[in-house]
Amino acid sequence: MSNRTRQTKNRKPGSPRSYKKLDWLLPRLGGVVLGGIFFYAGLQKHYHDWDFADAVLAYQLGPIWLAGLVAAVLPWVELTAGGLLVVGLKRRSCLLLIVLLAASFLIVLGVTMARGLQIDCGCGLFFQRQVGVVAVLEDLVLLAWAAGLYWWELKAVSRY
Amino acid sequence: MTRRGFFRQDLAWAAFLLVLAAAFGLAKHWPLVNLSFQGKLVAHLEERRAHRRQAQFQGVRTLNLAQAYELFQKGQSLFIDARKPEEYAELHITGAVNLSPEKLQKPDNPDLSGIAKERQIVVYCAEAHCDIALKVAEKLQSLGFTQVAAFLGGFKGWDEAGYPVDTSQ
Repeated sequence: MSNRTRQTKNRKPGSPRSYKKLDWLLPRLGGVVLGGIFFYAGLQKHYHDWDFADAVLAYQLGPIWLAGLVAAVLPWVELTAGGLLVVGLKRRSCLLLIVLLAASFLIVLGVTMARGLQIDCGCGLFFQRQVGVVAVLEDLVLLAWAAGLYWWELKAVSRY
Repeated sequence: MTRRGFFRQDLAWAAFLLVLAAAFGLAKHWPLVNLSFQGKLVAHLEERRAHRRQAQFQGVRTLNLAQAYELFQKGQSLFIDARKPEEYAELHITGAVNLSPEKLQKPDNPDLSGIAKERQIVVYCAEAHCDIALKVAEKLQSLGFTQVAAFLGGFKGWDEAGYPVDTSQ
């Protein structure tokens, strides 16, 4: 059976074509916005690398050489994942990277809050933000967003 | 291909992109990475912070821990805690009053009306990395206070030195 015939057979009777467009548009729009957020975040960290290194050191997690490594690598992971997601290349892999970033940061936030450290999270896009409930909620939203988009796209691609 | 197959493929590409991004990051920020491996990153950041503060807060006098404690012992200086009220309430330098940047924004602040303009004032915030003490000191100077200084060690430095602290309001 050809793809076209399968699509015609699987389409519910009376369902308008606009639903199909929405099904295609929404995840892509969601990906562009999410990618844009991470690309911008990566750009901020890239151009303020020494300030970001200072913020990473404040978490006091691991040796100083590790803080330097994180400060150098993390901005580029955000730039790569965010940028490619915006232009639509390897979207699902970029979403997986963003899920990894968000999940790792959630663990770091949890450990920092448990230790009672009151520091700048280094994650504020437009203004400084302290490590706390707001930062955790923001990260949870990004994690759910990326994971949800990935699941949606995986379902769509494995349907055919 | 099954869903699992697509997932494995996505994972492989994600790993590749991660390695590629890491390589670019290391190459672009090599000076930072090199300093961190040599154990000189903290000193370099301290130097940068000192230069930035000097440029940004040119007119503000600064004090180290020893100088701040000397003034505390003389008993003539007013210590101002520039942290949030809840941090102040938990623990602060003995005799310090709380004046956060938000309180300072209010016009005709009653907290300031009772303080003589020539009174020796020492402002501090949470720790050495914090710039709030410098901002509050600068603002106080703009309001006409002539003997203002910022203690750069922060409450953390004071507390770690074992100097007098209090929880009273």
